Amino acid sequence: MAKQLHENICEERMFSSIFNKHSKDLHNFLYYKFGELLNPKDKVQEAFVKLWENCAKISPDKAKSFVFTTANNLMLNEAAHQKVVLKHQQTKPKMYTNESPEFIMQESEYNDKLQKALANLTEAQRVAFMMNRVEGKRFKEIAALLEISTKAVEKRIYGALEKLRKDIKEL
Amino acid sequence: MDREILISKWLDNDLNDEELEAFKALEDYDDLVKLNQGLQAFKIDDYNVSEELDTVLNTIKSSKKQSAHWFKPFMRVAAILAICFSLYYYTTTLDTSITTEFAQKTTIELPDASSVSLNAKSLLTFNKKDWKHNREVELNGEAFFKVAKGSSFKVKTKTGLVTVYGTQFNVKQWDNYFEVICYEGLVGVTYNSRETKLNPGDSFLIIDGKIIAKEKENRSEPSWLNNESTFKSAPYKTVIAEFERQYGVQVTLMNIDSEQLFTGSFAHDNIDVAIKAITLPLRVTYSKTNHTIILKRE
Repeated sequence: MAKQLHENICEERMFSSIFNKHSKDLHNFLYYKFGELLNPKDKVQEAFVKLWENCAKISPDKAKSFVFTTANNLMLNEAAHQKVVLKHQQTKPKMYTNESPEFIMQESEYNDKLQKALANLTEAQRVAFMMNRVEGKRFKEIAALLEISTKAVEKRIYGALEKLRKDIKEL
Repeated sequence: MDREILISKWLDNDLNDEELEAFKALEDYDDLVKLNQGLQAFKIDDYNVSEELDTVLNTIKSSKKQSAHWFKPFMRVAAILAICFSLYYYTTTLDTSITTEFAQKTTIELPDASSVSLNAKSLLTFNKKDWKHNREVELNGEAFFKVAKGSSFKVKTKTGLVTVYGTQFNVKQWDNYFEVICYEGLVGVTYNSRETKLNPGDSFLIIDGKIIAKEKENRSEPSWLNNESTFKSAPYKTVIAEFERQYGVQVTLMNIDSEQLFTGSFAHDNIDVAIKAITLPLRVTYSKTNHTIILKRE
């Protein structure tokens, strides 16, 4: 009974811990799925504010699903109004120090191709693939996060990889 | 080892040393590594969890304060207004009732210029709402009406319905006794779903369910308005009942026929004179204690 009382999202401490646990995953999920233009950070905030407003109705174990669904819906509402051009921002600093101009050109060309190829993936493929490659998450973790089976995750990621390589070669 | 499985395992970071060697030996190893490096460029590390948490908590708190500031008082005001309105609505649509006690008479102004004089121990009920279009009163007892011009005016009693076309009339309704006298204008009386029209001076009388013809009335208003009760060939019991109402006393009859007819009057302001007025013509004696009077025939 005491445990039940503790596990109330309306308590700020509980709410904060849920936020710490899921907000980054949620943000990255939205970012991979919809790109930078639709402001994933804002949607994460809105979703968590909604979670707070409904804190009495939602049990902590449902909180993750709630914010993911809510944020996704918020995104979809906006995506319906404007056709989104996916454009992932490249933020990584240079990895090579002594590079020839030719190499730099090749590199940037490759990145352009990669970006276009990523935009061509399906949303589901891109989300799973980016979580795996960029964040180094394992299949199991992704499966838990997206609430699908590990096998499905593996299929999506492998499919994405094949499609990417094909697209890059063609471009 | 199958290429597809190797790549899958590499993706899942699940290669052991042996498998890693095999993976490196794949012809597309270089390609995969290059792709992997290219992908790292898409890493986003500008998401600061604690900063975002602060923002969310601030949003939550400010919105909570706001709601406490304007929403609750607004609800209170709305609730009070709702209560006031319903009270107002309830009281205005409520029937207005006026009663008179023993020996009491009163005159009431109705919502228009009409007036009603109410004799002792009577009850009048009417509804202020929509009075202009629906002039209707309920009467139990005796009353004299002066009706202002306007739409039809109705007086409902237990025995019959009186519809008013003119202006001045008297309605008297007691147990087994119903009398309407028209003093001015035209009055319609509906009794047993038959309407009788009364011209000035006409009267309509029912005692014990029987219609009784009466001669023309030549007064301009009922005598009780001048503190006097007048009877013409009325059963003695109705005279006694009226006497009881006017003086608030109990009258007991001994050896007297309560059905015999009485013509005469008594005043409302002096009980001794009044009792003589109703006993002497019939040669009846009386004895009086506090609130009971016993009438006896010798």
